[in-house]
Amino acid sequence: MKTARVLKVAFKGLGRNKLRSFLMMIGIVIGITALTLIVSAGLGAQERIMERVKKFGLESMMVFAGAGREMGQPTSGQPATTLTLEDVTTIKQEVKDIADVAPFNRKGQAEVKFQEKSATTAIFGVTPSWAPVWDWDAAEGDFITDEDLASLARVCVIGPTVQKTLFGTANPIGEQVRIGNVQFEIKGIMQPKGTSPAGGDMDDRIYIPLSTLMRRVANVDYISAIKVRLRTAKDMDKTAADIKALLRERHKLAPGTPDDFTITTPTEVRKMAEKVAGTFNIFLALVAAISLISGGVVVANIMLISVNERRKEIGLRKAVGAQRKDIMLQFLYESTAVTLTGGVIGIVLGAIGAKILEAITQMPISISWESMVLGLVFSSLVGIVAGLHPAKRAAALQPIEALRA
Amino acid sequence: MNSNVIQAANLTKVYNKGGGGEVYAVHGVSLEIRKGEYVALMGASGSGKSTLMNILGCLDKPTGGSLKLDGVEVSTLTDEELATVRNRKIGFVFQSFNLLARTNALENVELPLIYSDRTDITRLAREALDSVGLADRLHHNPGELSGGQQQRVAIARALVTDPEIIFADEPTGNLDSKSSLEIMALFQQLNAKGRTIVLVTHEPDIAEYTHRIITIADGKIISDEVNRQPRVALEKIPAPASSEVSNENG
Repeated sequence: MKTARVLKVAFKGLGRNKLRSFLMMIGIVIGITALTLIVSAGLGAQERIMERVKKFGLESMMVFAGAGREMGQPTSGQPATTLTLEDVTTIKQEVKDIADVAPFNRKGQAEVKFQEKSATTAIFGVTPSWAPVWDWDAAEGDFITDEDLASLARVCVIGPTVQKTLFGTANPIGEQVRIGNVQFEIKGIMQPKGTSPAGGDMDDRIYIPLSTLMRRVANVDYISAIKVRLRTAKDMDKTAADIKALLRERHKLAPGTPDDFTITTPTEVRKMAEKVAGTFNIFLALVAAISLISGGVVVANIMLISVNERRKEIGLRKAVGAQRKDIMLQFLYESTAVTLTGGVIGIVLGAIGAKILEAITQMPISISWESMVLGLVFSSLVGIVAGLHPAKRAAALQPIEALRA
Repeated sequence: MNSNVIQAANLTKVYNKGGGGEVYAVHGVSLEIRKGEYVALMGASGSGKSTLMNILGCLDKPTGGSLKLDGVEVSTLTDEELATVRNRKIGFVFQSFNLLARTNALENVELPLIYSDRTDITRLAREALDSVGLADRLHHNPGELSGGQQQRVAIARALVTDPEIIFADEPTGNLDSKSSLEIMALFQQLNAKGRTIVLVTHEPDIAEYTHRIITIADGKIISDEVNRQPRVALEKIPAPASSEVSNENG
C-alpha cells in the first residue's frame, strides 16, 4: 500500500517536470533503439542462416576437391583435380551410413545462347542422384536420367533464373540452347531454391549429365565435389572422419601432408554464414553500449541536480515521517520509471527502424520478444544503477538541514 | 495516567565550534507540556527557541538530557524511529508553509498519510481540509491560493494524522495582519477542541494569543508564565462546516 503510494509520488514528480524527464530519457531511447535493432537484425540473420543450413541439409556434407575450399567461393586459378569418379564409387561402397552420393562438376560462367539472347551462367554436370541428395528436382519436365548419363546425351535442365533471362514467360521445354559450341535440348526446369549459404543465386544454373560435361564440354576426368547424404545427422562427425581416412588412403597421402580435398559439414556452413552477419552487429552493439552508458550518466547527473533542487521537498517528507527507505525508493522509482519509459519508446522506435532497414537493405530482420525483454531489462538496469547514488544522497539528508535550505 | 505530552529534563544541544569552543543552543531546558495546552515558545532570533522546537518535535536530537513524548523516551531513538514518531504523534506548521508546488491541496494534505499505515488517506485529507474551512479548495494548487489559505492547507496537513501535538514555527511570519488573525483564530479554535499546540514566535503580540508563554534566551528558559487573559482572535474564522465557508473565498 505504502509502496504503491510512494510509486505514485515518483510518477507525479516526473509529470511535474516534463522537460527534465524528457532530457533524461533521450540517451536511453537511443540506446534501446540501437539494442532492439541489433537483436532484431541478429536474430533475423540467425534465422536466415538456419534456413540456409536446412536448405543445405542437416544430414548432408560436402567433399570438395582441393585443400581449403569453401562452399560457394569461386575457384581461383587452376581447378583442383584430385577427386575422381572412382573416389565417389569407393565412398559409396565402403563408408557406412551413407544414403546416397551426388558427384558433380561445375563449370563456372559459361555463355548460353538461345536464338539472339544470351546469358552467362554456371554449368553443372550432375548424376540422377542429385535430385534425392539435394532434395531438389525438376519442377516441370524431367531431371537428368541414367540413360542420359550412359549415352552422354545433349540434354539440360535449366534453373528458373536462366528461364526468365532467356525465355521470359514462354515455355522453354523442347527448345535448343547452345552452351559453348554444343547444342542442348531443354528437358526440364528446376524447382526454385533461392540464395545459397554464401549468398549466390542457386537458380542461375544449367544442369547437364555429368558424363556429357566431362567428355563433350570440358574434356576432363575429375569432378569438383561430392555431396554426401547420410541416413541420420547424428553420425556426421564419424562419417566425415571415415571419408577423410578413405580419401587420404586412396590419394596416397603420407601422414603429415595436408588433405587434397575439403570436407564441409552443416556446422561449418553455419559458422561461415555467421561470419558474414557479425561485423554489422559489432558496430551497432557499440552504439547501443555507448549511448546506454552516456544515457545513464545523464540520468545520474540530472537526478543529482534534482535531489539538490528538491532538498526542501525531501526535508518536508522526512519531517512528516518519511523513512530513509521511502525517499530512497521514491528517487529510484523516478530514475527507473524514466529509463523504463525510454526503453519502451526505444523498443518501438527500434522495431520501426528494423522494418525500415529491412525494406531498404533487404536484410533479414526478426522482431522478437527476446529483443523487447532485453530492452526492458537493460533500461531498468540503467535506471537503477544511475539512480542509486542520487537516491542515497536524498535519503541521507537530515530533515532540519533540508528544511532550512 | 500521565497527561504530559512533553516532559523534558535538562535538555541540551551543544555545537562544537572550531578551536575547541562549544556553543549551547539549548542549555539545560526542563519543561512539561500537558495535553490540551496552547503554549508559546517566545524569544528573539538566536535565542535557541527554534532549536528547542526542533528537538521537542523530534526533528533534531539533543546532545544531553531526557525527552519523553507521550510518555515515551525519544532522546535515544534512531533516525528511523524518530521518523515514525513524527509521523504518528507530531504535526508541523512552518513559517514558509512548505507546501509542494504544483500539487493540489488534497495531495499536500495527504503527504504525511503516504508514510503511514492508513489506507483511507483521501477521506482523511478531505476531512482535515474541511476542518480548516477549505473544503472547496481541494484541487487548487498552492499558487492558486492566498497566503492565509496556503497556511491553512499546511495546518490541515499537520492535523490529518490526528497528532498528539502540533508545532507551529512562526506560522504568521509570512502573512499579512488579516491572514495572521485568521490563523490565530484557527489555532484557538483547534485548541478549544483539545489540540495541544506549541507556537514558536518572536512576536509578543502573537504569543499573547496563547495560554502560556515560555520565554527563551541564550538557550535557557527565562520565564514561564500562564497567560490568564489571552487575546481572542475573533470571527473571520472559517467555520468547520464546508457550507458556511463560502464568504471566505476570494
